[in-house]
This record gives sequence, structure tokens and C-alpha cells, in this order.
Amino acid sequence: MAVKTFAAIDVGSYELAMKIFEVSRTRGMKEIDHIRHSIDMGTESYTTGKLSYQRAEELCRVLREFSGIMKAYQVSDYVAYGTSAVRETENTIILLDQIQQRTGIHIEVLSNSEQRFLDYKSIAFQGEGFLKIIENGTAIVDIGGGSIQISLFDKDTLVSTQNMKLGVLRLRDNLAHLNASIRQYENFLDEIINAQMAVYKKLYLKDREIKNIIIVDDYISTLLRKKSINNEMTGYAGAELFEKFRDVYHKESLSELAKRWDMPEETMPLMYIALIMTKRIMEIMGAELIWAPGVTLCDGIAYEYAQKNKIMVSTHDFEQDIIACAHNISKRYRGSKKRSETLEQIALTIFDSMKKIHGLGNRERLLLQLSTILHDCGKYISMTNLAECSYNIIMSTEVIGLSHMERQIVANVVKYNHMEFEYFEEMSRYGVTDQASYLKMAKLTAILRLANGLDRSHKQKFKNVKTALKDGQLIITVDTNDDITLEKGLFGASAMFFEEVYSVRPVIRQKRTI
Amino acid sequence: MGKSGYDDPGFYSNRELSWLLFDERILSEARDKQNPLFERLKFLSISASNLDEFFMVRVASLKDMINAGYDKPDIAGLTPIKQLKEVNKATHELVEAQYAAYNRSLLPLLLQNGLRVIEKHEKLTEKEAVYVDQYYEENIYPVLTPMAVDSSRPFPLIRNKSLNIGALVTKKNGDGELEFATVQVPSVLPRIVKIPSDQEQEKVVILLEEVIERNIQKLFLNYDIVCSYPFRIMRNADFSFEEDEAEDLLKEMEKQLKKRQRGQAIRLEVEQGIDERLLAIIKKELMIPDEDIYRIGGPLDLTFLMKMYDLPGFERLKEKGYAPPQPVPELPVDCDIFEQIRKEDILLHHPYETFLPVVDFIRQAAKDKDVLAIKQTLYRVSGNSPIIAALAQAAENGKQVSVLVELKARFDEENNIVWAKMLEKAGCHVIYGLVGLKTHSKITLVVRREEDGIRRYVHLGTGNYNDSTAKLYTDVGLFTCSSSIGEDATAVFNMLSGYSEPLLWNKLSLAPLWLKDRFLHLIGREKENALAGRGGHIIAKVNSLCDKDIIEALYEAGAAGVKIELIVRGICCLKTGLPGIGDKITVRSIVGNFLEHCRIFYFENDGKQEYYCASADWMPRNLERRVEIMFPVEKPELQKKLMDILSTQLKDTVKAHVLKSDGSYEKVDRRGKESVNAQQEFGRRAIQAAKDKSEATQRRVFIPETHHE
Repeated sequence: MAVKTFAAIDVGSYELAMKIFEVSRTRGMKEIDHIRHSIDMGTESYTTGKLSYQRAEELCRVLREFSGIMKAYQVSDYVAYGTSAVRETENTIILLDQIQQRTGIHIEVLSNSEQRFLDYKSIAFQGEGFLKIIENGTAIVDIGGGSIQISLFDKDTLVSTQNMKLGVLRLRDNLAHLNASIRQYENFLDEIINAQMAVYKKLYLKDREIKNIIIVDDYISTLLRKKSINNEMTGYAGAELFEKFRDVYHKESLSELAKRWDMPEETMPLMYIALIMTKRIMEIMGAELIWAPGVTLCDGIAYEYAQKNKIMVSTHDFEQDIIACAHNISKRYRGSKKRSETLEQIALTIFDSMKKIHGLGNRERLLLQLSTILHDCGKYISMTNLAECSYNIIMSTEVIGLSHMERQIVANVVKYNHMEFEYFEEMSRYGVTDQASYLKMAKLTAILRLANGLDRSHKQKFKNVKTALKDGQLIITVDTNDDITLEKGLFGASAMFFEEVYSVRPVIRQKRTI
Repeated sequence: MGKSGYDDPGFYSNRELSWLLFDERILSEARDKQNPLFERLKFLSISASNLDEFFMVRVASLKDMINAGYDKPDIAGLTPIKQLKEVNKATHELVEAQYAAYNRSLLPLLLQNGLRVIEKHEKLTEKEAVYVDQYYEENIYPVLTPMAVDSSRPFPLIRNKSLNIGALVTKKNGDGELEFATVQVPSVLPRIVKIPSDQEQEKVVILLEEVIERNIQKLFLNYDIVCSYPFRIMRNADFSFEEDEAEDLLKEMEKQLKKRQRGQAIRLEVEQGIDERLLAIIKKELMIPDEDIYRIGGPLDLTFLMKMYDLPGFERLKEKGYAPPQPVPELPVDCDIFEQIRKEDILLHHPYETFLPVVDFIRQAAKDKDVLAIKQTLYRVSGNSPIIAALAQAAENGKQVSVLVELKARFDEENNIVWAKMLEKAGCHVIYGLVGLKTHSKITLVVRREEDGIRRYVHLGTGNYNDSTAKLYTDVGLFTCSSSIGEDATAVFNMLSGYSEPLLWNKLSLAPLWLKDRFLHLIGREKENALAGRGGHIIAKVNSLCDKDIIEALYEAGAAGVKIELIVRGICCLKTGLPGIGDKITVRSIVGNFLEHCRIFYFENDGKQEYYCASADWMPRNLERRVEIMFPVEKPELQKKLMDILSTQLKDTVKAHVLKSDGSYEKVDRRGKESVNAQQEFGRRAIQAAKDKSEATQRRVFIPETHHE
């Protein structure tokens, strides 16, 4: 049958959710079931680093039921992701194995940036609404339990993303410590939010004009998408609606509100926090319109699946977002744009002609590209300690869409571009335990080093370079009238490592145009 | 509260008294000369069995409250003590009226029509006496268990609702001291004993207790019988309180549990003219006060009349004006139900239209290779239910079958457990109700995998999935494969399985979470419209109306000028003719051949009419302590069908009673109006529709199909 069913499972901190989708090339994706079970894993995982026996039992029981439901729908594929609660358990691997043994469901753990990227993908797949809104300056505010993520758009590409520990549950717990009454919330929240947002504004926002905010959360989105509450433009709101919401919080009790909005009473304080926060962010950014597409992580999982399996094609180029983010980081640390471009061009040319030998794919090509863009970011801190500084900057800057391991690859490739490569035994002491990733690092490092060597003078002499693989040699033909003695002379060191990794000797040929 | 100005208890009726008025309306059908004689027997029997249930549940409940010292006034401002007092007065009057109808109207008419009921065994002819004595020896005597009471034998347990004969006896050769003896009239034997008659045109019957009384001496051979009389008690036997009472009562009751007299007798029926010495003994042993004693001028326990209705040979005296269930035009026999539903939404009106398609829906789903899952809520089902069989079959065929079985359905618990177990054995996933809530909603979901993806077929109804009662109760049901209702139906079953509520509902409204507010909103909207000069109109058909918030909202809407027409079969705590409202709110009740059961709601909504059907009545228990579903009917053709039902009932002049401002019900004043019997009218229409359809299919001109599904 042309129509397949797919299940997306989100093992969240406070909820287990599964969405069943119908996917087909002709009709795209259609949600047919959404099953949610409340389970507080976050509290245990954050405080003790482990899940209690009862909690794990409950988790397995519900996942077994999910597995039964998948069977009933004859689901042919599924993806299950765990987020922060699973991520923050100390015995993650044991826990996940246990779950797989007992329920048959394999769960993978998402890093924060991957998770946010999925949320972002699900927004981008909304098509029309998304394309229209990002015509003007737009920020995505993704409000979670532990933190929020603010991502900025410039024209139609995502340029920066920043995580802040301002999640609604975290704030609620903080406010509970202060014994704040709901009426005092606004003052306290304003102070907490303003403090963080002021820094954010100074560093990231600067004079960007943000007109629209796309919001991803469990509270405001639900509210804005209720026809009874937001009749005119389901999912959209302006500042005045938020003003109205705030006012009712001052007038009505939480139980009255819960009734009025048809929502569980215990979510009302969280909703209030989310409302105040969004309102403040709107004010700080000067935004006028809120859009709540009402997507969940499950949607993101499904879009990712559809994209991977070429069931759906988004008009939006997600790789461009990742690259734009990297450029932005480079810009922040005063990286040389010109040099990056040359390096990028040379490195990618080499990468492409070596395809048969390295056996790497598009994703690794992207990682190489990111490495070239970020190759010198550490200079901002120290010219001598360039390798370590670059590594640390990359590791502590969020690049949306990259998994933790991918980020590590980029950071290491940049690092070993500047210092002696270390072998597996050595590197595994720094937490690189996965051989496949290690090999990728080695291969990409070799290419980056070679490219770096070809542009030693930083004069972009090798800008128009051509490479060809021939009889166990990589012939690098450079079309320039410049003197390349320096490059030729210092080429040896980087060429040796390249040869070690690929068993291919790089050779430079100069072609002079008269 | 109190904002509306309609908060005063004086604006509300007590629900028990209102219920008794309903039973009186049933009794009035027994008195109605327009009804065939045997139908009148049936109505009398129903009024009697209803009253029995009323005692066991409602009166018992009031007594519990009094025993527990609970004295919170009800919606009409009456404390339990006050309520019980008024109920007592009313029930005595009702029983008087029942027997007046039986003795003065029905018995003479039966005789005229060839059925002689021998009221007293003394009136048997010699030949008849010989026959009954022989019948006694052969059939009755072996199953009797006579019990005498003396110093060594305690007073025996008299069973709830059983009919007994009590006697005063003296020992032969004794000192003449009076002793008490009793024998239960066996419930395993038919209550009506047929006696062969000499006349061909005449049938003769006598009641079982008379035959036993005549032969009672044979049970107590060592005694002389001084006198013997039938008696019957009703006990507060089963420990179940009505969920309608306030929750604080429940807590109170738990505390007071020990004080409660279990199995306390709450009603004693004795034959009029009973020997006072005999009565004194029974009264003392059962500790029953005078006001709970009913002296009956006729046979005790009139429910035997239902058996009399079944006596062969009296077909001419039974109702024939009501057609049997007709085929549904949109769902001809042997059609592919799924295909028909894909063409259009289908609204069924039972019992005028047959319930069979609903059973077939599940049967076909069980066999269909493309069906993935069947989910259903079951409240009361018939014994040997074909639906249960089909569900079990489906599970055996590898479908995912989830069934929510409500075990708390009153009087049906045991029955439910048996077949629930059976379903489980067949591989169904059975959910035994929800903690603290009764699941009263009637919904079925069939998930089917089709060429173009998953499609969900949903049946929503106002009546139980019970093929037997579907022939007697009026209900409506909707078949649809609308994706928005399908999504909601999936969400309903997710919730019933213990998962979180969905983020949004498309079309359905559920109790206990949202339904009441939804109703209040819909009523409030009409009020706003009326206040803004856009007019307002509500028609609601329910079985009971006793939720205070709803009534208050209706009062407010009525005061604002909304025209409110209510069709309330049973309890109605709303009053008509209140100051400021006048005749803006009218209430009528239809008591007819079929039990009115469907709940339909119409809201004018400033010209954008909305129609809903629901499993819920406007009672606190429906809106607050049950899982109920209300669904909209949106297709104009189906809306028209619903409006036809409502408007025909509003035009009924034969079976409708109108609630007067003094709280009494009166039949519609028929002067100047054509005679309309809504239930008969629906039957005629169903026949016509079925006929039109079959004529259309039998036309001799071929109709080419222009497209293929």
C-alpha cells in the first residue's frame, strides 16, 4: 500500500507522547492519533540522576501499551527520542537497554540542539504560514520545562540560537521557594527575565528588528489554538491579547480560569509564567505578532523521518541554517571571512574528489564545511593557544541541528588542524569513545590540514584549485601566477598526515596562465 | 449565586415528587379509554414495577439520609424528613389510584371481553375448585416451605419483594394461643393459574396466592387456621446509595454505617381487611411504622399484569397502531455498511427504524480484513447479545478490540461481569469502568485501513447497545466517518484508557469535564441573542431535568425572552409560569407506547441553527459523575430529520401531557387541533421511507451508475 503508518515517540521529562502518522508521497503526512501520558521523570532524573524503580516500571508499562497501539495501526516504522530527563540520568545506557529488552522500543537520546532543531523543523514544515512569517524579522521562542531557546532569523535563514535556563517548571520551582503568590509572579518574573534578556539583547539581538515571534510550548499554543478563546485568528495573537490574558489572571481564580479555558487547573501557573515570559520577550524585542503553530516534538520527529525518506520535501534549506549559524559564530569571534571562504572552497574540492576513498557522505561534508568556517574562532581569545580555545568555543556554543557527537567532531577537526593529531587511545581519554566518529575526525582533519597548508600565506593563492585522483596520487592543480614557494615548502607536514590517513599522496602542480 | 433572581427554592420542584407525577402519567395511560384494554394492563403493570424501584432506590435513600442525620435541603428547599413525608402521602394516593383503576375499570372490562379473573378463591365454582385443588397438589405443594413461629423458632426471614401469605394459627388440642405462620408464594411458579372453562368464549384465571390460601390448611396439619392474608415487604436491602446525592452525604454515610439498620423494611403491603392481630405481629417483627403500611384493595404486586398481557387469545385487545422496526433506507439489508457511511452521514431513529445496522456494523467490522481496531463502550446489553458475540469474533480474527464495560450499571452488575469475562477470554482488551465515574456514553469506533489511508467510522448514540431495548426505547444514533469526529472518538478512547485529554476537541463535548459548561454556554448564547434583540429559541428533549445550574440558566434565558420548549419525559424540577418568564418556557411530557429515551437539543443561534444529541440528561449525575458524550449533527438533511422529530412531538395531542404552573400535568387540550400521535406518526414515516426506497430500487428503468467509488 502506498500509505504507510509511522509512529513518533517522545519520552519527555513530564510526558510520554506518541503520535501516529500516515505518510505517503502523494498526500504527505497526516496525524491520526495522539496519545499522551503524564509521567514526571524530570524531577527524579534532575535531582538524583536516576529513575526510581516505580517510575521505570511505569515508563515500561506505558511504552508496552504504545507498542500494542503501534501494532494495531500496523505501524511500519517508528522513531523514539528521549529528551532532557533521559539525557540527565547517570545510567542512561543501562536504562535504555532495559527499556528495549522489556518493551522492544529502542530509544535514542537527543541533545538539546537536536531537540530544538526538530521543533524548528516541524515549524518550517508548516509551509505557507512559516514562509510568510519569516519574511520579516522573526524569533522562535521554544519554551520548555527546564530552559527556553531563542532562535533568530535573518531574512529566511536561522542565524543564531541561544539556550537560557528560564524553563517554566524551573521558574515555578524558584517562585515556590520564594513563596510567591500568583499575583506577585509578574514582578519576580520580570526581574529574572529582564536580567537574562538584557544580556541576550546586548550580545545577540543588537539592532536586529524582530517583528514576529513563533512560539513553541505546551501552554500558550494550546490556548491560542482554541477556537473558543481566539476566534479570529487561530494560533495568532497580538500584544493586546496577552494584555487581556494577564488581566484575567488578576481577576479570576486559577480554577475559574481552568474552567474558562477548558484546561487542567495544575497547568494554570505554568501558563501564567509562559504568558508573562512571552509578553516580556515581545516587549524587549519590540515584536508585534505571535504565531503558535501548535507543533510538538513528535511532529518534528515525523518531519525528520519524512525528509529522510524523501516523502516530503521542505522548501526550506535546513543546512543553510546550520551554515548561517556557524558564520555568525565566526563573525562574533572576528574570524576572517575571506580566509574561511578559501579554505572552504579548497577543502570541499578535495573532499569531493576523494569521495571514493573516504566513503563519507553529505553530512560529513557539512561538518567539514562548518570546520572551515570555524577554523580560527579561538584566535579571538589567544593567538598561541588557538587549538584549545577554538575547541572550547565550539563545544560551548550551540549550533542548532548538530548532535553532541557532531559538534565534537567539528571541534576536534578544528583543534587538530592546529596541533598534532592524537590517536584513539589518547583521544578516548577526552571522551571520544566511538571509533566511527574518531575515523571521521581523522579523515576530515586530514583534508582541513591539507587545505590549510595550501593557504598558508592566507593570501588565497589557491582559490581556483582543481583536484584529481590519479594513480594513488591526489593531483592538486592551482591556477595562479603567484609565487607558491612558501606553500610548496611547508606542504610536506600536512601532506604526510593526509597520506597516513588516506594512503594517497597529494602533489601540487602549478598552472600559469599567460 | 442569587445573581439571577431565580435562586429561590420556591422556583424548583422536588425530584421525588416530580418522579411520582411521571408514574402517575403512566397510570393515566392505564386509565385512558382510548388505549386497547390489554395495553392498559401493561401500563398499570409498569407503573407498579416503577413504584417498586422507586421505593428500593429513592425512598431507601431518603431513609438513609434521615438515619444518618443528614438534613440539607434539596433543590426545592425540602429536608429529607419533609421530602419523605410528602413522598409518603403521594405514594399512598398513587397506590389508591392504581387499584381503583384495576378494580373499577379493568376487571369489569376484562370480564366483558371474555377474561374472568377470580378475585377470591371463595368464588370458585365447584368444578373449578376441584381443578385448582388438583393443580395445588401436583404443582404447588411440592415447592412450598411453610414456616411457623413459636418460642423455639424465630421469626423467619421474609425476602425483599416476595409475596407471602401470613396466617394466625392455633395448635390443635392446644390452649388456643394464637401463633404466627407464613409461607412464601413461590416465585418459580406462574402467578396466573389458568382454569379450564366450560364456555368457549371465556377464559378463566385465578392468582396463585388464592390457590395457596384455599389450601393453606394442608400446610399446617397440626394447627387450625384462624385467618390468612397475603403480605409483601420491601427492604432497604442492598447497600447502594444513589449517586445523585451530595458527596458529603457519602462521607457522612461512611461514618454512620454502623448505625444503619441493614435490610430495614421500608414498606409493607397487606390486603385490606387483614386481621389486626395478624398485622400487629408482622408490624412488630418488622418494626415498621404505620405510615409505611399500605392496605391494598386487590391483589398485591400488580406486576403480574405483564404476564396477563401475554395470555394468548387476546390479540384484538392489543395495540396494533405501531409498526415494527423498518429497514433504514440508507442501509439496506446486506449492504456494505462502510461504503454507505462513506457516501453520507446516516441518522437512525429507533425503534421506528431497525437497530440491526448497528449490530451489523460491528459484525462486518469483525470480519473485514481491512479493519484494524474496534472500540466500544457498553453500558447495558441484552442477554445473549449479538454485539458481544461479534466483538469476541473480531478479537479472534486478530483485530484490536477494546471494550469499556460499565460494571456499575444498576441492577446489571452480575450479567455484565459474565460477558466481560468472556470478551477477555476471546482476546479483547476490557476496561472495567473508571474509578469514581460511570461510563454512560454510547460510542463505537471502527478503525479501517483503506487505499487512501486510515479511515475511522464512528457510531454515536443516545441509547444503549442493546438490541432488545432498541425495539422499545426511542433513540437516535449517528453513523459518520467525518475525520473530525473520528479524531475525537480516538481521543475519547485514549482518555478512557487512562491517557491524557487531547489538546483540542473538534466536535464532541464530554461529561464530566466539559459538557455542563458547554450546555450553559449554549443556553447563555441564546440569552445574549435575545437580549440583543436577535431572538432566541431552544428546544430540548430529555428524560429528566433536575440540574439546578441548567434550570437557572434556562430561567434566565426565558426571562430574557428566549422561547424554550422542553420535552421532558420524567423528572422535571423546573417550574412553568414563573414571574418574569410566563409562557416563554413550556414543558411537555410524552408517555406512550415506546419509552421516550432520546436526548435532542436545538439552539437557534441567531439563524445559524445548531443541533446536538447526547447520552446525557440534564441531571447532576449525568453532567458531573458520568462519562457522557454530546455530538453535533451538522448535515442539513439530518438536521431536518431531528427537527421533524422535535416538532412532531411538540404537536402531539394524544400522548403529551403539559406541565401547568401549579405543578400538575394535564393532557393537551385537543380542541381545534388535529389529532397527532407522534410515535405513531414516526412509525408511518419510517414505513413510507422504506417503501419509497424499495420502490426506487424496483423501478423497471435501469439507472446507470455514473461514477465508481
